[in-house]
Amino acid sequence: MSREFLCSILVILSSLALLTGCGSNPSQKPMVSITATKGSGQESLTSAAFASPLAAKVTTGGTPTAGVKVTFTAPSFGATGAFANGTATETVMTDFSGIATSSTLTANATEGSYSVSATVAGATTSATFDLRNATATFFSFYLNGLETIDNSGNLPSYYALAGSVAIDSSGNVVSGEQDYNDGFHVTSPQPGGDFILSGTLAVDANGQGTLTLITNNAALGSAGTETLGIQFVNANHALITQFDGSATSSGSLDLQTLPSAMSGGYAFTFSGVDSNYEAVAFGGVFSISGGTVTGKVDVNDAGIVTRADDLNGTVTTPDRFGRGQITGVSVNGILLSLNYYLVSPEAIRIIDVDDIDSAVGSAFGQGSNATAAGNGSLGKSVFGVEDNSWGSIYYAAAGILVPRAGSGTFTGVADNDEESTIAAAATISGTYSIASNGYGSLTITNAGLLDVTSFGLYATDPSLNLLDPNNTSGGGGVLLVSLDSGLEGGVGLAIPQTDTVTNSFKGSYAFGAQVYESAFLSGATGWEFDYIGLGSVSSGALTGTGAVNDTFGFFSSTSNLYNAAPFAGAITADTANPGRYTMVPLNITVGSESPTPFSMAIYQARGSALFWINEDSNSLSFGTLQQEPTAVRVGRNAKTEFRFNTRARAKR
Amino acid sequence: MGCNRFVRTVRVIARLMTGLWLAVPLMAQTAVESRPYYDVTNEIAFSGTVSGVLTTAPPGMTWGSHLLVATIAGTIDASLGRWGLVGNEALSRINGKQVDVLGVMKRIDGRQVLLVRSVKVDGKIYVIRNTRGVPLSPQARERAVRKGEPL
Repeated sequence: MSREFLCSILVILSSLALLTGCGSNPSQKPMVSITATKGSGQESLTSAAFASPLAAKVTTGGTPTAGVKVTFTAPSFGATGAFANGTATETVMTDFSGIATSSTLTANATEGSYSVSATVAGATTSATFDLRNATATFFSFYLNGLETIDNSGNLPSYYALAGSVAIDSSGNVVSGEQDYNDGFHVTSPQPGGDFILSGTLAVDANGQGTLTLITNNAALGSAGTETLGIQFVNANHALITQFDGSATSSGSLDLQTLPSAMSGGYAFTFSGVDSNYEAVAFGGVFSISGGTVTGKVDVNDAGIVTRADDLNGTVTTPDRFGRGQITGVSVNGILLSLNYYLVSPEAIRIIDVDDIDSAVGSAFGQGSNATAAGNGSLGKSVFGVEDNSWGSIYYAAAGILVPRAGSGTFTGVADNDEESTIAAAATISGTYSIASNGYGSLTITNAGLLDVTSFGLYATDPSLNLLDPNNTSGGGGVLLVSLDSGLEGGVGLAIPQTDTVTNSFKGSYAFGAQVYESAFLSGATGWEFDYIGLGSVSSGALTGTGAVNDTFGFFSSTSNLYNAAPFAGAITADTANPGRYTMVPLNITVGSESPTPFSMAIYQARGSALFWINEDSNSLSFGTLQQEPTAVRVGRNAKTEFRFNTRARAKR
Repeated sequence: MGCNRFVRTVRVIARLMTGLWLAVPLMAQTAVESRPYYDVTNEIAFSGTVSGVLTTAPPGMTWGSHLLVATIAGTIDASLGRWGLVGNEALSRINGKQVDVLGVMKRIDGRQVLLVRSVKVDGKIYVIRNTRGVPLSPQARERAVRKGEPL
């Protein structure tokens, strides 16, 4: 063998020894790796910040590596995002735990899914964050009722909730803001409120289902997750109730027109509890010019009634969710902290966010009634009014008003239930007046409606639909606040009665009601249940199904939430009072219980909008029947159609 | 809060008897209540023995809890409202006890009902409603204590 050949053999053997001996060589560098630990899977509205920063963990041989550079890189074009430095790339050092956390990533204006990578020197692979920029539809919601989450001495508290939620075309909740307030121990932090981080809207083909809101406030709902029962009336408007066992309530969810701003004249009412934790209701008119609020307010504060106090304040510019503040408002010497959510420039939800009092309600534009109102602004109307959940004496009333503008008088027929004292189909008469700014009053002088006698009355824009603010028909109406001692907390509305034909009361209706009761079978202390549903009226009968929130155990000995509860009742027209009907009984069947009968009185404003109350010895309620507007469904845009169909598939 | 009212038992029982006597003809009339809903100037005070405690109202009776108080003028239906028997510092184990009651008689749905403002039992006064007749919730009691205000 030659010397060269021997050398070659030695080199090969040495190389083999090196190759086969890697694992046992103590001088070999341990493996560096990087993994995504936080922020992947997020969805953000286009041109908005992601809720959570991105975080990646670097380890070397399995041990966290501090003080190394991690580079986050988003796509350079298309759907992407920018870090705080305004670019798609950011380099961050790892901390003592080996974690590198990015700055806030803000989505660009392009909708779509993409990945952000995180790399570190020495690692053979990168960490990946899957993200999505989404366009969404914004809805405003508000409701009020009784909660169980902050009970004092095992008793419920009043609460109010208002917010805005952005939902993408697949039914995913992208983001949102809200304010929750029981005026006792649970109030969303101010001025920012709660953030809605994610959630899901899931409804069936009938528009019935749930809206889950995952918030950053662990004190609310179930560990921060609120579930609302939902019944769409149409693509833009739904009846809602909290539906997670933490509370029961009634309210509305409505498509928002954003951006919008408040301007001009408004009529308003809102209701809740005062700083003594007694029922209170406010009503009045105000105008906004250059962000300055001036107006008049009536207050029924635990039976102490004050009228036409000056109302002054300042409106802040709304944020991208249509949320803003009305600051500097002082009523009866008490400074109120008010937030608002825009549905549209002429429909605003207002919530009191003080931590010692609470209230919620609405303001509606007045249009021509801001300066040119008069007694003629109230036409023949159907009215309804109900206490809030903390009223001294629960009551609900509904009826028909037939005004005579020239004399400032009215006649009518109405029903009222005051905790088992019932006036059915009672003749009412009285006086009313409306000033040029839409501020007015109405008094029932014949004592026909028990203790219900005196209202503040505030005229709205005749082009508005007070039940469904996105609907262009409706004819406006007036807002009402009860000014009777003992009936504090009551607010309501009157809308034009344009059709009393019995044959118009047919077809598909979304319905709901807020029910107060005395006979809690469970022995639990609480006095409210709520329901929403969808039914069909045909041949003088209602049949449908609904969601019943019986958190306080009216129907059975335990607290329950009932889905797909059957509703059924025969409708009898009151021939002496066109537009009035009775439904005796309306049977509601929950779980395996026998049907529970309720005595309903129904007042028809038009075929598509009716008010109903129940007048029983152990329960009373006020609610509405609103018709699915077929014409709107056909005409809704493709994106909305897709959303409905997607949700329907998801629920099946 | 007017503890001296309780010593005027004989006089108010006479007024109470008058009220019950008037109740019969009033039933045929329209139920019109004067404003305000709870008129403190019409308050009466009387003594009696609790003969019954209703934690929830039977059909036709004003909602909330009730005491049935036996007096020399007959049994009085005394409405305690929603919170009279629940929550911290609420009335308890009161059946069969001697009580002094302050309130306003109201005709509600054809029945004479006493809206109770306070009950004195075993030397302790339990405030049920404020001077405007608003039932005091546990939250309202706590708020009053925090403000240092009388109930």
